[in-house]
Amino acid sequence: MSEQPSLWWIDWRLSRASVVRETIGRFLFFCFIGFALLSMLLSGGASRFFADRYVITAVLRAEVPPAEAEGLARKVAALPPVRSASYRDPEAAWKEFLRAYPGLDALRGAGGNPMPGYIEIRIRPDRLTGDDVDLVASALRSVPLVERVLAGEEWFPRLLRAGRLAFRLGWGIFGAFLAGFFLVARLQERARAVALAADFAFLAERGVPAGRMALLRAAAAAVSGFLLAAAGTAAGGGALFASLRTFPFLEGVIGPPADLLLPRTIAAAVLFSLGAAFLSAAASLLGWRAARSGRK
Amino acid sequence: MIEGFRLGVFSRGATLWDGLDFAFGDAAAWFVAGPPSSGKTLLLSILRGERRPDAGDVLVTGNSLYRGNAAHARAWRASCGHVPEQTISGARLTVGDLFRRSALAGGGVRESERKDRADRLLEMVGLPGASGWRIAELSISERVRACLAAELLRGPKVLFCDGVVAGAGIPCREMLWGLFRALAREGNTVVLAERTIPERWALAAGDGAPVGPFRVYRLPVPGEG
Repeated sequence: MSEQPSLWWIDWRLSRASVVRETIGRFLFFCFIGFALLSMLLSGGASRFFADRYVITAVLRAEVPPAEAEGLARKVAALPPVRSASYRDPEAAWKEFLRAYPGLDALRGAGGNPMPGYIEIRIRPDRLTGDDVDLVASALRSVPLVERVLAGEEWFPRLLRAGRLAFRLGWGIFGAFLAGFFLVARLQERARAVALAADFAFLAERGVPAGRMALLRAAAAAVSGFLLAAAGTAAGGGALFASLRTFPFLEGVIGPPADLLLPRTIAAAVLFSLGAAFLSAAASLLGWRAARSGRK
Repeated sequence: MIEGFRLGVFSRGATLWDGLDFAFGDAAAWFVAGPPSSGKTLLLSILRGERRPDAGDVLVTGNSLYRGNAAHARAWRASCGHVPEQTISGARLTVGDLFRRSALAGGGVRESERKDRADRLLEMVGLPGASGWRIAELSISERVRACLAAELLRGPKVLFCDGVVAGAGIPCREMLWGLFRALAREGNTVVLAERTIPERWALAAGDGAPVGPFRVYRLPVPGEG
């Protein structure tokens, strides 16, 4: 009796040209989608952009000594949602005021510096939520040294809504691209299964079970899908890293290049590659089934 | 040993044949002659385990192909070679593709070995250097010989040929006569289905045994007593 034929990479053995074409196309797609995925992961949609611009200002009472104000700033900085908290003394506040409104030096003439000191608080991009901002603002309001907290409560919910919308829109577009990939991959798999139908029939006639062929094709599709997605995401990550180094202003929107190597980013890329493997295998099985049932 | 017991086929609303017994011994070349539409192709399909007979059973080395273990039937099909009467005519397919496909079914044939063996087999069937030729551009005779050579690549223990002698044409008969007998001498079994047996073959094989609409001949193998 003949030995059991190896059906691994059967499509590659029978139709190299089409497999190479599709592989190149999929790799380029994964490069693009990997770049988009990592950008989305790092930026958190519009969170980093907003977090970079959103500031809570705690205006201090006039008589607060600098040492106490700095101690308060350190305590605020220790709150979980807070990225940074820095104290500006009345003199620094006055200079900032003059930079913003030049020509108003006369205001200081009569009663000295009219500007109070303040603490500028920035929130971490992943904690830019209504609850976390409320937590920080209410913590500050309960402190006797603080006269007033400016947290933009009137417009902040609108900002969050816009952020959520941008977040959903970004992931929606990402999902649409993945769905498009699945659709195209399924069509490619079906076309290849139709083109190789005579070969599969030949093998089936010679004792190779059709189910085994379908499963091994799907397994090969999963392995190649995983490797292509991993390689494409790595290449996309490299391109993103280079972009962030070349154009530093992008860091304010996307994030620092070092974040690409965080364990959670790598874990997300691996998860994405596993998802791509699953989609590739499903496309292979569905393409095979459609080709076998003769649907066009 | 391939044995068919009380085989029957019902086709097109009628009984094509029923109650036929066959016994094809190992290491021999068998010739089944039958008139057109007598069910020769069907008989080969049944013997290969491709089509369950409507009556009777087929035993291979004592195991039923249709009522026994499915793995045994698959292994049997894997050990068979088959040259169909209707050869493939895929527009883009080349002779080399036939060998690639056959090697895949055989498993474990290295690319360099495949090419080497393919060249030798093609030369043997009178198609030297035909690897790159398109099937669609070949004559019927060339297609049949190319398919036969591709099947031989795997070295099947049992070879079923449907209309190969007629398809290959008179000039190739001597080559086929020698080839089939040589295969049998090496321990393989060859089952040929044709409308008529060439006169010289019939003279050498003697009177065939009548089985239903068929006449079954055993071709003499060189070196047999």
